[in-house]
Amino acid sequence: MRKNLGSALAIAAVAAASGIGVAACGGSDESSGGDTGANAGGKTGGSIRIGSVLPDSYDPVLLQTVQANQPIHLVYTGLVTYKNAEGKEGNKLIPGLAEAMPSISADRKTYTFKLRPGLKYSDGSPVKASDFEHTMKRLTFLGGPFSSFVSGIQGIAEYQKAKQENADISGITSNEATREITVKLTQPDGKFLFAIGLVNSAPTPAAKSPFKSASPPGSGPYTIKIDNPTRQFVLTKTPGFDIPGIAKGNLDKITVVKETVPKMTQDVINGKLDFMTEDPSGDDLPLVKQKYSDRFRMDPNPPNTYWFFMNETVKPFDKLEVRQAVNYALDSRALQRIFGGRLEPTCNFLPPGYAGQGYEKIDPCPYGDPDGPPNLAKARQLVEQSGYKGMSVTVWGPTKDPRPAIVDYYRDLLNQIGFKAKTKVLDQQVYFGTIGLKKTNAQTGFTDWFQDFPHPADFFEPNLSKKALESSPTFNFQYKSNPVLDRGLAKLTPETDPGTVASEWAKLDRAVVEDANVAVYGNELSTSFFSERMDFKNCSGVHTVYKNDWSLFCLK
Amino acid sequence: MATEPATEFEFGDPAVLAAHDPRDSVAGLGPWRLALRRLRRNRVALAFGGLFVLIVAVCLAAPLWADHVAHTDPFQNHLTETIVVDGQPQDVVAPDGVPIGPTWQGRFFLGADGNGRDIAVRLLYGGRTSLLIGAGAALVTILMSIVVGTLAGYFRGWVDTVISRVLDIIWAFPPLLLGIALGTALSLGGLKVGPIEIQGDSRLIPILIIALVYVPYMARPLRGQVLALREKEFVEAARAQGAGPAQIMFSEILPNLASTIVVFFPLMVANAIILEAALSFLGAGVRPPNPSWGTILGEGIERIVTAPHQTIVPGLMLVLTVLSLNVFGDGVRDAFDPRAKVRLGR
Repeated sequence: MRKNLGSALAIAAVAAASGIGVAACGGSDESSGGDTGANAGGKTGGSIRIGSVLPDSYDPVLLQTVQANQPIHLVYTGLVTYKNAEGKEGNKLIPGLAEAMPSISADRKTYTFKLRPGLKYSDGSPVKASDFEHTMKRLTFLGGPFSSFVSGIQGIAEYQKAKQENADISGITSNEATREITVKLTQPDGKFLFAIGLVNSAPTPAAKSPFKSASPPGSGPYTIKIDNPTRQFVLTKTPGFDIPGIAKGNLDKITVVKETVPKMTQDVINGKLDFMTEDPSGDDLPLVKQKYSDRFRMDPNPPNTYWFFMNETVKPFDKLEVRQAVNYALDSRALQRIFGGRLEPTCNFLPPGYAGQGYEKIDPCPYGDPDGPPNLAKARQLVEQSGYKGMSVTVWGPTKDPRPAIVDYYRDLLNQIGFKAKTKVLDQQVYFGTIGLKKTNAQTGFTDWFQDFPHPADFFEPNLSKKALESSPTFNFQYKSNPVLDRGLAKLTPETDPGTVASEWAKLDRAVVEDANVAVYGNELSTSFFSERMDFKNCSGVHTVYKNDWSLFCLK
Repeated sequence: MATEPATEFEFGDPAVLAAHDPRDSVAGLGPWRLALRRLRRNRVALAFGGLFVLIVAVCLAAPLWADHVAHTDPFQNHLTETIVVDGQPQDVVAPDGVPIGPTWQGRFFLGADGNGRDIAVRLLYGGRTSLLIGAGAALVTILMSIVVGTLAGYFRGWVDTVISRVLDIIWAFPPLLLGIALGTALSLGGLKVGPIEIQGDSRLIPILIIALVYVPYMARPLRGQVLALREKEFVEAARAQGAGPAQIMFSEILPNLASTIVVFFPLMVANAIILEAALSFLGAGVRPPNPSWGTILGEGIERIVTAPHQTIVPGLMLVLTVLSLNVFGDGVRDAFDPRAKVRLGR
């Protein structure tokens, strides 16, 4: 997903519809309930209040931030979705509105889904096979942040050229009688299923478009009522929701209100709120960590990586020695302090959340232990060797806290190894768009990436590949790609299960680190802070895709 | 015959006269000397003026403190370093990000900030920045105000109408809001006017922004004064002698505005320092990592409980500086015209 935009990051969008199900009463023949994915022993019933900066959009095809993903994935369910479970289990795709995982053709280009029988939206209207195509059209026509994830469907390019919302997408066929949906891709793409597991791809009723109601019909375990889009919305359990494997949700009602971060922190402490979507900041973080450790935890979710980009097409970063020097000089322990302790030092580009899917801890790290001191002497020697000593460098960064402090640390580091560095800090809203233009010629600076969906290509492709350079603005701020990586992506991306080629992905991870294409320093830890009423021990709902899966929350 | 004893007064001896009749003693003095004499009698104003001079001197000595006492510069990060305090090694910044407080020794005398930078050093360098911007903005304000106020007041008519309406428009915006808007816009792309280009992180940007937003506050009173002065006999006399508008404005009117300008200056500097601090605090003034009292405050506000020194110290410096300038400025105003009610601000 995206750079850590906006308030809380965009975590990624991932999400997907996971779980939750179809509002619809599912008419499955399978036994209902069963393995709901909900935490065993979690108390059901009751209502809670959550503090948030609120979603960037309530429309599933347009939303992007984790604050939107957390509630909205409970309202809509995709054809496939992510399991409602903590830990690595949360990365697993399970059938959602589809009665089983799709059948995939031998050439890995055709996916066939079959809807569960008798599905209905929360307003009672039936879920139709054609609703999926309707969502793909809205996603593409409105240019949602994740529309590129489905651009590999046959006919999407022509649909875009037609510039008509009702034009046909030739690669999607729907059969209402058999409830079958067939999706043809232009080429094999192992990411496809992971992408349509996100809530952005969840079917919505074509008959109800456009999407403007305060209580839009959904297909998840909760129904949303937007009291005031900038102040408050309420999730209530969808009566009769019953899709096997998808959590029904423990709580009857979840009220989400807008608050500032300091206020929501105080309100959670005082019990006026039961959970907050943000991380306590400034003074509050050490206070909460110390005083309320019995209801506070930190996890590297959603999986993310922080690094300094180095534009390999401009001086001085066109020389390997300089990029290596930066890596030798990096001190992750220093950056950990800037994050208030919420940073796990690493040198891997892939985050630890990808264990079994491509993450293998690089040990020893080629440029020194990320938990140890930097090698400034070696870094200075390399800069000297490069012939660029004394060159002016501008370090770019965004305004969102603590980015300016990170950028200042990096400026000081570059000065220590022999450059004349200064900073240029831009507003968060324009930062990535500005440095993503080649004409900006941004030499080096801050960047990060939060998972969109749990597939290693989601990290490599947008940030480091040759393909990423085809779009403008791009997220490949190196403006060059590593040929080893490009070849690897071409080979591995078509695989539908990255776990089967995990060691190959790990090799790519090592290649970009060893070639010093980037200067990685850590994975941010996000926080979960609950009121005393909440069952923190059994129901914290930490999820690799959603950060916190509210359907797993419960009261004591 | 006995001569008549001399009287106590000897005509023609001003020293004697001055000693015995205060009214006569000031009669021969010019307004500047009179004002200086009155100012010298105002001990409170002088004390605060002295305090301001002391603050300036201390800030000017920043490099000495940085090089010989603190052994660091205002930009250097010391995030992972430790320092011995009372025989015990302490982290400059703890692993949870809380910086060290005042050590009362050379290094980190007033503690560190979140990036492990020495606050005392940044405070001194930041003071230079704040004072430079305050004084610079006040000077530019005065220059612009003299130009527009004199032109508007002297020519009247459409010139006055145009200038006054432009000033009204600027005045319609609260200074802080206008400053934020301009600061945010100019910090991105800088300022480019013809061949003149100013980078977004230049200190000239806040100087120009602050100067601009305060122009109406000074230009309007000056315009009023010029309107009155242009009707005076000495101006008419100059005109009768063939002097043109430019000569009249420079030779006859400007000298008569001098006392007003002198009264305004310290008050304007104080206001400019406050606005700079507010803009920098909000991220629309001095660009980090350059220190100013406002940026130091802004960087410390999130840690006001765990590291209060980060906000208290620059806040205290701001209070002392502005207080000293205001009290001294009031003294100057009283010295030039004890009956005047000149006040800046709203």
